[in-house]
Amino acid sequence: MAKVVVDAMAMQRALTRITYEIIERNKGVDDLVILGIKTRGVYLARRIASRLQQLENVTVPVGDLDITSYRDDIEHDAATDPTVSAANINFSVAGKKVILVDDVLYTGRTIRAAMSAVMDLGRPKSINLAVLVDRGHRELPIRADFVGKNIPSSQRERIKVSVSEIDDRDAVEIQQA
Amino acid sequence: MQNLDDLQKVLIIGSGPTEIGHETELDSATVQIITGFKKHGVRTLVIDNNPFSVALEEIQPTNMYVQAVTTANVRHIIERDQPDAILPTLGGLLGIRITQELIENGDIGRFGVTILGMPAATLRQINNPAALNATLKEIHEPVIEAQVVSTEDEALGLVESIGFPLIVKPVAPRLDTNRTICENVDDMLDALNQGFAQSRFDQCTLERSVVGYKEIEMVAVRDVADTKILIAGLENIDTVGIHSGDSIVVTPPQTLNDREYQDLRDATFRIATELGIVGVIHIHFALNPNNQHFYVTKIAPYFTRGVALAARTTGYPLALVTGALLIGQRLVDIKLPSRFVKQTAIMEPTIDHVSVRIPIWPFQEVPDADQHLDTVMKAVGSTVGVGRSVEEAMLKSVRSSQFSPRDVLPSVSNLTDGEMISQLIHPLANRILVLIEALRRGYTPDELSELTKIDVFYFVKLQHLLKIEKQIKENPLDVDTLKDARYYGFGDGMIARIWQTDTATIRRLSAEADIKPTYKMIEPTAGEFDEHASGYYSTFEYENESKPLGDRTALVLGRGGNQLGPNSAAEYFTTEMLKQLKRAGYHTILMNTNPNAIGIAPEFTDKQYVDPIQLGDVLNVIKVEHPDIVIVPGNRHYLTRELGKLNLNLHVLPPDQESSKSQPKTATISVSLFVHKQHKIAVGVMDMIAPGMNQDIAQVTAFRMPAERAKADRLKLVEQAKEAVSEHQLTGMVQVLFAPKSKDSQQLTVVGIRPTRLTEMAFLSKVTGVNWVRMLTRQHIGTLDEKELAAIKIDLNSKRVALMNAVFPFQQLHVLNRPGTTDQEMGATIAFGSSEALTLSNLSDTEQLDKIINRTI
Amino acid sequence: MEKRYLILEDGSAYAGEGFGAGATTSGEVISNLNLLGYQETITDQIYHNQIIIFAQPAIGNVGINHDSYESILPTAKGMVVRDVTNISTNRLSRLSLDEFLQQHNIPGISGIDTRHLIRKLRKMDGPVKGSIVDVADAHAFDQLNATVLTNRQVDQVATPKPYPNPDTGKNVVVIDFGLKHGILRQLSERRCNVTVLPWTASAQDVLNLDPDGVLLSTGPGSPLDLGEGVLEMIRAVQAEIPLFAIGLGHELFALANGAKLEALPVEYHGSSHPIRRIITNDIIYATQGQGYAVTAKTIDRDRLITTYVDLINGTVQGLRHRDYPAFSVQFFADGAPGPHESRDLFDEFMEAMTARREG
Repeated sequence: MAKVVVDAMAMQRALTRITYEIIERNKGVDDLVILGIKTRGVYLARRIASRLQQLENVTVPVGDLDITSYRDDIEHDAATDPTVSAANINFSVAGKKVILVDDVLYTGRTIRAAMSAVMDLGRPKSINLAVLVDRGHRELPIRADFVGKNIPSSQRERIKVSVSEIDDRDAVEIQQA
Repeated sequence: MQNLDDLQKVLIIGSGPTEIGHETELDSATVQIITGFKKHGVRTLVIDNNPFSVALEEIQPTNMYVQAVTTANVRHIIERDQPDAILPTLGGLLGIRITQELIENGDIGRFGVTILGMPAATLRQINNPAALNATLKEIHEPVIEAQVVSTEDEALGLVESIGFPLIVKPVAPRLDTNRTICENVDDMLDALNQGFAQSRFDQCTLERSVVGYKEIEMVAVRDVADTKILIAGLENIDTVGIHSGDSIVVTPPQTLNDREYQDLRDATFRIATELGIVGVIHIHFALNPNNQHFYVTKIAPYFTRGVALAARTTGYPLALVTGALLIGQRLVDIKLPSRFVKQTAIMEPTIDHVSVRIPIWPFQEVPDADQHLDTVMKAVGSTVGVGRSVEEAMLKSVRSSQFSPRDVLPSVSNLTDGEMISQLIHPLANRILVLIEALRRGYTPDELSELTKIDVFYFVKLQHLLKIEKQIKENPLDVDTLKDARYYGFGDGMIARIWQTDTATIRRLSAEADIKPTYKMIEPTAGEFDEHASGYYSTFEYENESKPLGDRTALVLGRGGNQLGPNSAAEYFTTEMLKQLKRAGYHTILMNTNPNAIGIAPEFTDKQYVDPIQLGDVLNVIKVEHPDIVIVPGNRHYLTRELGKLNLNLHVLPPDQESSKSQPKTATISVSLFVHKQHKIAVGVMDMIAPGMNQDIAQVTAFRMPAERAKADRLKLVEQAKEAVSEHQLTGMVQVLFAPKSKDSQQLTVVGIRPTRLTEMAFLSKVTGVNWVRMLTRQHIGTLDEKELAAIKIDLNSKRVALMNAVFPFQQLHVLNRPGTTDQEMGATIAFGSSEALTLSNLSDTEQLDKIINRTI
Repeated sequence: MEKRYLILEDGSAYAGEGFGAGATTSGEVISNLNLLGYQETITDQIYHNQIIIFAQPAIGNVGINHDSYESILPTAKGMVVRDVTNISTNRLSRLSLDEFLQQHNIPGISGIDTRHLIRKLRKMDGPVKGSIVDVADAHAFDQLNATVLTNRQVDQVATPKPYPNPDTGKNVVVIDFGLKHGILRQLSERRCNVTVLPWTASAQDVLNLDPDGVLLSTGPGSPLDLGEGVLEMIRAVQAEIPLFAIGLGHELFALANGAKLEALPVEYHGSSHPIRRIITNDIIYATQGQGYAVTAKTIDRDRLITTYVDLINGTVQGLRHRDYPAFSVQFFADGAPGPHESRDLFDEFMEAMTARREG
């Protein structure tokens, strides 16, 4: 049984608010770059970039990070940490304010891998994290700077994010495993 | 969805012959959409077998498929012509159904055809109540729970949980939805029987009845960027339980508060988004009058009469905009012709007038039909009244619906009290007259509202009209009373009748007291912008907005709403006439109250007056416009006579049938001639076929051309005809009728001469490729070029045989299917073929006739 | 129904029939183009001291009901309509319009060619004064010309003392400039525990309540008449607490952050205009009804972002502060009357408050 906790309109609002908050905290969009993680984080990243474009008339560079890992949201195998398998970033991150974008923040391991990958590419000025959903249960000292919605969940539950670019709609659902 | 920028060729599925449920509104929309597509460089193909279609006149012969609108025929066209896209929504439910079948049998996918207007997933759900309800429930829209049953036993099992009254509907029916309200088990079993037969899947749905709820219709548009605009809300005065086509409809809604209206608007938008509709959508809601709950009862993402009404009464360029939306334009980018204020397409209409639409009935022509109004539509047409108060709009529309030559309302004062109450509870066609009579007899608005479930507001308004009527009765020839009466919509004829005088006196009094109509523009911004819309209506206020159109104007009087008889052909006639007038350099003005008319499209008419086509109102318009030509239809004898008394350049078109030289009892062949000065052009030799046993001329409703005769015989008949015509004064399109000399004789003799009937004129135009309506018009306005006329070549002996066959409303009215008469026609079909396929012997049998008409090419 | 007149300061007089109260009144004449919602309109305090002309020709059809009040004591000065029905039997309604107007001493006049008036008024720049009188004589015109339109409007309609609208959810302070109840209803629907403060409240008054969010309400008249104190309060509060401002509130928010206002030559009261939500490039429709707009070129881009624009007249319809979670809209986000699609601005406000508390 899946329950929708964020519908299409709420998702739009969340991304809009995150965009505004990014502007607030960074005092503008200069030196900003956005990196989307995994599949859906990439689409969310692009939507945020599009909003920034609409508001400020500035093209913020967007890149992707593909991170292979165990399925973060169902089981952990402590022996296998996520690693970056591909990076599609054709700009420099040196001296930039990097915003990492992911759909769900859970244990934090994926983000940790992403941060390492970014720092290997160059020395960013800062790294901030934006997530659509924060579901708690962190295993590392990682915290999101911009959160769409906090959804405290039990580890037996599965949080499913759908984005209309590849799924049939925009939604965030909780499924009992 | 495929990239719509690459769209080059679109196939429009036409709607076929006009019938109950769709009149000429689909053809009207098609014309405007074709115009729009042309401007965007999209080539349009049309399949339609309606001989009275104006859309077919607007496209090149190579793009036109005059064939029966069937899945098989459409499939062949797709196969042969490979259109990029198909547009089903101009074909009404027929178009939708055909496209559904094409999806199911894989043709849409196989030929890579894009469906314009909605995704395939949505198309599959239209007309499938179970699927649609499931979708609506997913987005939390309230629906009436419909349970699908395949057997009587299943149905009986559900009776407990659903309860009576309940409604039985066939799943995916072959015709427009036949819903039956059942009060008990016997009713239900009968309805199921019928329903299973009509369903493509042998299934029916059962659901709770919401009869008695308010019925509100919403018409909206949506673009590919998900921007949505509400065009209009239409409130049915009659409650759910009476088909909305049979109800009196008011727009904007008069008895809703803002919140109820916005809730329905929100729901309409959510549904349009969920279904992915691009273009226009028309949704019906049932609103519980006792709380704010509503249910979605019907979703029609295609062109309908409701859509036509929304366009007419708001002045919003709906067909134009929809055409642009269908090929992927966004509302915010649509460029309208320069006569519109630039951003009209993207502003949500708000209007400052009231419109009332009243149905027109077939019961005079089909007296054995049951006049009780229920969920199956019986009206054959409608007419609109526009004013600045509900009273004015209602009265104007009622006046237009009665077709009374002297503009008076019939009385129902001979009903007994018992009969009247019965008709209040079980409404019959002349509903509004009964409501007024009940008020006259002292029933209070509250009592009547209780009995009929109609909102008490409307009774208060009708009561007000009665009060004014009383005032008129008690103050004959009083100027202040006259002012009040005109203010609220009373016509000259009605006032004259009450004061027992003539309309001339009323006009004189009005002139002396300076009571004259002010014309207001029908535009969608409520005065915020200076629109240059073309529709006007009369009211009696302070400012007149209608300036004379200028030099060289032609005022054409329309026929009012659609009735049985040659009316779709009349619409074709009027529109072609308007086209010709424009071509001859006239500015055209049309006076008409038919919201489904084709002639009102801006391509044909520069200005329209939506006012009753009665003497007083016509004279008022003439006073403003000073037209150079006035054209009145031939069936308006009183009007023609009265207008003839003035110094006008008056023409009677279409010609008056009563100017025929003798009406014969029977005719089997006719020769049509175009007569102009000394020219007599033979246009066609036709078999006059009366399907069925009787050869009475009134039952001649099918025509075959050329007539099944030897060549030499045909030519001989033509000579005989020319001779006969020489002896009489008739000019223009003339038909000479022949019949056998005596019962057993083979020899034919002339039995009558008459102006060619409208239906036959359309037929002749479609078959010969020469537009005879335009010729006739040119003759009247004096622009006929004799050289050109002489150069016309008609092949009277063509190998290609054409057949036109009238369509009747008997099945829809649930009366015995029998050979109909010409005044019972609803529309017609046209078919072409070889002379072997279309032999006379085949055509006399109605079943054979049907097969031929609907055959696959 | 007695004969009465609507007279305008340009010397014109229109005869009609009186309904409602028999009072003689004067005020600024405003055209309202909304399709429905006469009750919401007549009770909205933005029409304080104004005579409203209704484009909708048939008014009064559904009487007066409990749920459509935008204020308890309306202070409009008159209704001008084409046709009025005095009926009180829509299921929600308890009163007829006529009775209601009499209770509040507001006169109405019917039988007027309102379409003509609206078309005429839109060609006249600036506020136009009018009166509803019994006799259209020289005396009446003199009185009219002598009438001075007040600039103490907010004072007249806003609450002088704080009052609560208790509930169990977020704590919201509403600064009342003559608010429309639609705002309170939207907050109630979201279970907000509301405290309404008078417009003269100081920043300290607001902060003392430790609210999750602050809402600056709608109201009548010009924000320029309200002095500097309000603007200081706004500047102080926006830096600490999520802020949402509507209508007059939006104008004050703009002023507080350095923008300038201009009076619109013709006010637009209706909901037909497409409004672009810049961040997502969507188009929404909302009810507008104000006489001023923020002048786009005076917006300090280092402080404010333009978030909404009216596509018909180009006016700024929404702003957001760059540095704080503070945003505002010119149009009526709550609808009432009018489209509901902008109600998700209240959801935005809620989410901003949540983010603030959690972040």
